[in-house]
Amino acid sequence: MRKKVLATLLCLSMTATMLAGCGSTQAEESVATESETTEAAPAEAEATEETAPAEETATADFSGEELSILVSAGWMDNRYDATLARFEETYGVTVDLQTIPADQYSDILQSKLDTGTCADVFWIQSNPFAIASTIVDPEKYCIDFTGSDWENIMPEARKASCTYDGKLYGLQIWHNSPEYVMLYNKTMFDELGVSVPATYAELLKACETISAEGIVPWFVPGADGWQHQLSFFQIGGVYEAAQPGLYDALNNNTATFADNTKMLEVLEQFKELSDKGYFGEDWIGTDSTNMSNEFGDRNCAMAMANSSYIKQIKEDTGTEDEFGLFLLPLGDNSYFPTNPAGPTMFGYNGSEHPELVQEFFKFVCSTESLQEILDNSPAYTNLDVNDDALAQKWLPEEEEFMASLDESKMGTAVLQTGTKYTNDYWMDFGADMVSFCQGQMEANDVLKNMDTNRAEAAKVAGDAAWK
Amino acid sequence: MNKKKIYPQWFLLLPLALYIIFFLFPSILGVLYSFTDWCARSSKTGLHFVGLDNYIEIFTSNKNYADGIYHTLMFTLISNIVKLIPALFLAILLQEGIKGKGLYRTLFYLPSILPFVIIGIVFKSVLNYNSGLLNSSLEFLQLGFLKQKWLSDLGMVWKSIFGVDAWRGIGYVMTIFLAGLNAIPKSYYEAAEIDGANFWHKLRFITLPMMSGSIMINLVFGITYGLKVFDVVYVLTNGGPGHATEVLTTYAFQLYSNGQYGMSTALNAILLVITAVIGVMVVKVMSKQEVQQ
Repeated sequence: MRKKVLATLLCLSMTATMLAGCGSTQAEESVATESETTEAAPAEAEATEETAPAEETATADFSGEELSILVSAGWMDNRYDATLARFEETYGVTVDLQTIPADQYSDILQSKLDTGTCADVFWIQSNPFAIASTIVDPEKYCIDFTGSDWENIMPEARKASCTYDGKLYGLQIWHNSPEYVMLYNKTMFDELGVSVPATYAELLKACETISAEGIVPWFVPGADGWQHQLSFFQIGGVYEAAQPGLYDALNNNTATFADNTKMLEVLEQFKELSDKGYFGEDWIGTDSTNMSNEFGDRNCAMAMANSSYIKQIKEDTGTEDEFGLFLLPLGDNSYFPTNPAGPTMFGYNGSEHPELVQEFFKFVCSTESLQEILDNSPAYTNLDVNDDALAQKWLPEEEEFMASLDESKMGTAVLQTGTKYTNDYWMDFGADMVSFCQGQMEANDVLKNMDTNRAEAAKVAGDAAWK
Repeated sequence: MNKKKIYPQWFLLLPLALYIIFFLFPSILGVLYSFTDWCARSSKTGLHFVGLDNYIEIFTSNKNYADGIYHTLMFTLISNIVKLIPALFLAILLQEGIKGKGLYRTLFYLPSILPFVIIGIVFKSVLNYNSGLLNSSLEFLQLGFLKQKWLSDLGMVWKSIFGVDAWRGIGYVMTIFLAGLNAIPKSYYEAAEIDGANFWHKLRFITLPMMSGSIMINLVFGITYGLKVFDVVYVLTNGGPGHATEVLTTYAFQLYSNGQYGMSTALNAILLVITAVIGVMVVKVMSKQEVQQ
């Protein structure tokens, strides 16, 4: 009998402890809600009585709240630090910045969206097709910003990457410099008597000459996981030119990557350069952390980079060398990589403080914040926004390069932006390219995998063209 | 007989209910989902039964999921060998006959308490070909010919993963072995010594048989850890270079993050079956040996 009583008591105490555990959270939550209500009430009353300045009202409303931001490394970096600090100070809030390594970001974001645990603000690498394929269900996951004050800060081309079904979901603040073209050490080229290559044969010859001097001809940071495939995708114009109508056909599922002669040619050329050691001894295991120093120390001659990277090399290393830009000549390309896409931030619909998220987007779009972002970005020379008050900082090298381009060859978007579902498998394609370069895959299998992946993404997105 | 027990049978009800609701039921549900086309869009399009399609895709796809299964099994086997054997000898060494053994035990155990994310960041830097500590040290010691592309050479990358995994795990395995060694009466060894037994005789006829319990624990832990390996691979190589170090869980993670939940659960179901079969086999074999002893 005594044992039964003991057992019953123990059982009851266990249940009580468990319930108490759950109950206390509810109690805390209700207290928190109560205090928020109490704090909010006077603020509302004040706002009704007289129109207070926006920032003061906001401070009263949001004080003590936390805004979490989920972002891939490289998309915000230090350039947003000052703006975030000012935002914290202005609104009396804290910002929890969760920066994820680039090669893990996509997986983590998707898991967080799927499990309903996403940060208040999240970023994706957006393009006109990305919302449908990456976020899949923007109505469920994203705050609708249609009609926001800051809507027109973005040029129309960028807005296309932020809207879905006529609704505005994202904000894209990105630069408009020549993106991921070949950056080269002009001084070194002159010293070695190497001329700027316009065809693959000329590139091969230039690499041979530079390599003979013990210098890495083309610095490829393969360990980043996202850089080396740029050399395949940034020359979309050459694929379209080789097979007119290719982009439309890929988007309508009437063409494939597999068996595309020009794409196979480019992959084979990339492998040839890798096999000859022109990317360095261990490009697969090398990341971009030390890239500017490699340029500054004259250990490498070329790399795919943004034009503004010239500024960064000079600032990081103090080199006196002159740098220039040219179009990547793989596949004898002569097309400019037009790309109205870029990292874009979205408000998470499941956020506990959607109003604070709205304020954050508005805050970022003020001239003061935009100037701060530009000033704190050694890699940017401009921001592609509709704000005449913003002081842009174009480089002479950029202006020289842009002036040298054939305008008729600037109309085709890069492959990853111009075709559906391609960008979603950026990392997979990069891994396949590495496997190909290591002899683990055939070139056509790399392309076949992209077709398989795009078909899967189309299935998930319910794309009629793939049914 | 039952009346003498302090806990009555119904005492099990609550924990059993919690176990069934929060573990067993979701696991079974996961297996059932592997027979559907569950994806990110299912909330709009609905869920459809697709039979064995996901499993057929896994074994026939050009994405080499089968390689992921093979890598998982290989990791399980080799990681256990490279951890268990050195850990056993370390435990014997630190059980007796060495000064400062307490300090050594602590030092060996310390890596086990470090999170894999930190280990990944540290070792990625240490194993860097151009500027890593390991290759720089080899060059400094005039051993430049031993320099390797530790994380990007197909022939080296698995060895590096096993090395890092062993560095982290040996201390933990050693601690369990030490507990087992402590339970062996000293008199057995003294008697064996009188009979002229050397180190290997004592190891073969006293230590190993008497430690079957701790060996079994380490084996079961090691096998289940090996089969569900994810973090060490993810932080060091993320399945690369290319797909050279993809394992079942990295593929499952990728599929899940691409919104292909059905395929992802199918891969996990395969992992569940493999784990269950191997786990039951190990426990049966080891239990039989215990009974014989």
